[in-house]
Amino acid sequence: MNSTLRYCLGWAVLITSAAPVSAQDRYDAAVQKVNARLVKVFGSGGFRGVVAYGTGIVVSPDGYVLTAAGSLLDTQELRVHLSDGRRCLAKVVVIEPALDAAIIKIEMVEDLPFFDIDAAAGRTPAEAGTWVIAMSNAFEIATRGEPMSVQRGVIAARTKLPLQRGIYEAPYAGEVYVLDAITNNPGSAGGAITTRTGELLGMIGKEMRNALADTWINYAVPVQAQVEVRDGSTVRQINLAEFVRQAMKGEYKPTAKPDKMKGEGAYHGIVLVPNVVERTPPYIEDVRPGSPAAKAGLRPDDLIVYVDGVPISNIAAFKAAMSTTGPGQVVRLEVRRGEKLETVEVKLEERPGK
Amino acid sequence: MNNLLFLASACLAGGPVHDAEAHRVAVVAKIRPAVVAVFANGGQGGGSGVLIDADGFALTNFHVVQGVGSTMKCGLADGILYDAVLVGLDRVGDVALIKLLPKEKGKPFPFVPLGDSDLVKAGDWSLAMGNPFLVATDFTPTVTFGMVSGVNRYQYPAGTLLEYTDCIQIDTSINPGNSGGPLFNTQGELIGINGRGSFEKRGRVNSGVGYAISINQIKNFLGHLYAGIDTDHATLGATVRTVEADDDPTPKVVVQSIIDDCDAARRGLQIDDELVGFAGRPVTTVNQYKNVLGIYPKGWRLPLVYRRDNQKQEILVRLQALLRKSEMEQPERPRPGRPPAPQRKVERSAEALKLYKAKPGYANYYFNEQARERVWRAFMKHGDFSGLTGTWLIEGDLVRKGQKTPFKVEIGEKMGKSVVSIDLGGVIFALDPLKENPDVRELHDPPESGGLLMALYHTHRLLVLGPKGFEGGFDHGGVEPYYPAGPTSRRDSEVLTSEHAAVKAKWYFDKGAYALIGAEVSLGQDEDPCELTFGDYKPIDGRMVPHSIDVRSGDSLFGILNVRKYQMTSK
Repeated sequence: MNSTLRYCLGWAVLITSAAPVSAQDRYDAAVQKVNARLVKVFGSGGFRGVVAYGTGIVVSPDGYVLTAAGSLLDTQELRVHLSDGRRCLAKVVVIEPALDAAIIKIEMVEDLPFFDIDAAAGRTPAEAGTWVIAMSNAFEIATRGEPMSVQRGVIAARTKLPLQRGIYEAPYAGEVYVLDAITNNPGSAGGAITTRTGELLGMIGKEMRNALADTWINYAVPVQAQVEVRDGSTVRQINLAEFVRQAMKGEYKPTAKPDKMKGEGAYHGIVLVPNVVERTPPYIEDVRPGSPAAKAGLRPDDLIVYVDGVPISNIAAFKAAMSTTGPGQVVRLEVRRGEKLETVEVKLEERPGK
Repeated sequence: MNNLLFLASACLAGGPVHDAEAHRVAVVAKIRPAVVAVFANGGQGGGSGVLIDADGFALTNFHVVQGVGSTMKCGLADGILYDAVLVGLDRVGDVALIKLLPKEKGKPFPFVPLGDSDLVKAGDWSLAMGNPFLVATDFTPTVTFGMVSGVNRYQYPAGTLLEYTDCIQIDTSINPGNSGGPLFNTQGELIGINGRGSFEKRGRVNSGVGYAISINQIKNFLGHLYAGIDTDHATLGATVRTVEADDDPTPKVVVQSIIDDCDAARRGLQIDDELVGFAGRPVTTVNQYKNVLGIYPKGWRLPLVYRRDNQKQEILVRLQALLRKSEMEQPERPRPGRPPAPQRKVERSAEALKLYKAKPGYANYYFNEQARERVWRAFMKHGDFSGLTGTWLIEGDLVRKGQKTPFKVEIGEKMGKSVVSIDLGGVIFALDPLKENPDVRELHDPPESGGLLMALYHTHRLLVLGPKGFEGGFDHGGVEPYYPAGPTSRRDSEVLTSEHAAVKAKWYFDKGAYALIGAEVSLGQDEDPCELTFGDYKPIDGRMVPHSIDVRSGDSLFGILNVRKYQMTSK
């Protein structure tokens, strides 16, 4: 009897704290509400697996749209299709690689339905177990006024992306909602994750694959997620809502050009063995005299095992890990030297000759 | 304590989660006996299906039975493997109808009711059932649960066929093996047949984007499928494009090109006409147009609304065949990138083969014969004319363009030749319908009727001789809408088709009562038939005979024959 009562109590608590999802509930009203606040984005691409379409979230009545950063926006002919079937030109306002997000502005529109992203960011983030709706133009199924695809999912975790470089090809390093539904398909990036009443929770990210396991992670960036962005030697925190607010005022300065993100990062002075096979282990071949690496005591034949606690299995992973570093940053390396694991801290510098 | 008691009672009441789950479990238990696991003979490959009536008829995908041949094996949740035979095919729509053979003669099969997929909305729940990865060796179906992601989706043809129009998009997990299986709403009504997914980098497994053929599309073809027909989809005979004006961001759909001799052109549709509505649905995008066009069989007549010079016009257009004859008759096409399956000798069920008859244009002609017999027998209950082989005289008034003219029709033989004549207020038109090298004008007499004499000759022949009067064929033509009085008067009818002396006719029988409500007699493929609409049936000597016959051709009513007197003699 006692156990029955406890069981029942459990149910009662559940019912009051979060209204459960019933198979009889209808979501078409929420779906229509979200759909009216999304746009289909058409830009450059269409070759080598790079799609020329994406999704965007309308964040102001005069046509500011939050979407994913990417080569899609690299065009003079950016177009969006509104939910009412109108086809409009749009311009890129600003791109922030650290958020993997961009703001574009639809030209010549007014009174659009929009998501109040400040209000959304003011709410508590959703926790694991929350039932969500995902909407995007996955696979370019919809054009013009055709409604976007809607999916249902559950937030499996609210966590930081496990940036294991070389394993996950992550375009974004920060807090995410990991989703149990296959929400991240071609064209999905820039779509919306909402509560089942259509309140904005986050923006769907890009497709992300675990190269080791050949599995795919589906994630969205929460509107409240604080992301560390580095501007020169200063580090600040920003979230999507703040990004939108500043970008709409024309005040947002992107932290780094996208191409610099793919650069070599700050100077460390480590020379690795030639990268002959795909998984060449990151053995140090040489250390430049007087370089940060030399100052930290690194030696030839050391095998780099961890960078800032993240396992590094090959040369590409090491280069990727170093690519986003800046001068002045301290990187903790763990190297195998003989039979021992040594930990060193390398204070990175400005590249010589720059 | 009071509080605890209250909570306990709330628990006993169930709560919405518990109720919803209990409801879902009950629905699944109710529908799962009707879910079919389809296997090729010899066990290579397969898919899923669903029983839709007690006689064992089941829907599946064309691409599941493609290459399987005329018979197959089907497992049900009861763990029993049944023999099955192919009945009907819709290659373009990716649908096939098969029939399971009961283990005991006459034993009814479990089946599911057909829902109304027009009521399905994005955000609705759905249940998919079937045999993904052929995982269930005991045929117990797998059930997956998910959301409707979109409706009225248009998916371009895969290869040359298999176009998914107006389909339902789901995030409900479907995988290889689910093909042909059912998609249900939460009430357990069949709303679609699962058949396709959007696959890209992740391989041919669920990507969160699956598609089901809507059950309402399948309903349009179901009459054809039951009649064993290898059905075809349709084209309007015109192509359309989207036009955007600089000052108007909302595009228009206009006619880009049109074939001269197609029905739409004869009904007056021209290049640059703006399409407004089609089959009762608005058309504002090319996809919407394709979605409407894609759900109907060839030969159907549908209302089309277009705008020209700010004037709206509504016309009834006959849809043209989509596939060429060669495409229809190609039984199997090798799929790119996949070697043809090795030809292995397979054992076929003798029982199933008894229900199979091959004939070009048909998936299984056996079922066409059955359907034809069923309609013909039902029609004969209204009256048996088979003894009345003598001369027929029909008298009354022709109401034409507001004027009444007495008429007298005579159908019979003179000096060993068939002769049909009509006396219209003293003006006599006569036709020898079997004359070699006939005069084209005579064939179409009286003028503007589209060939009333020929139509009367064929109607008389149908009534008196029945199936054996049509040496060129007498078949079931599936189900089509018939419009006795314009676009809003649609009545769905079973069609029998006939050919005699190179003249083809379609006979429309009211579904249910099986009265003959209309006929179309065609003198040529690319011209308007003479249409007869039969009404005001009254008994004469125990036979029901129409006393009002509307005669139409093209866009105009030739006149109404109001019959006062029939004289039907035997020889």
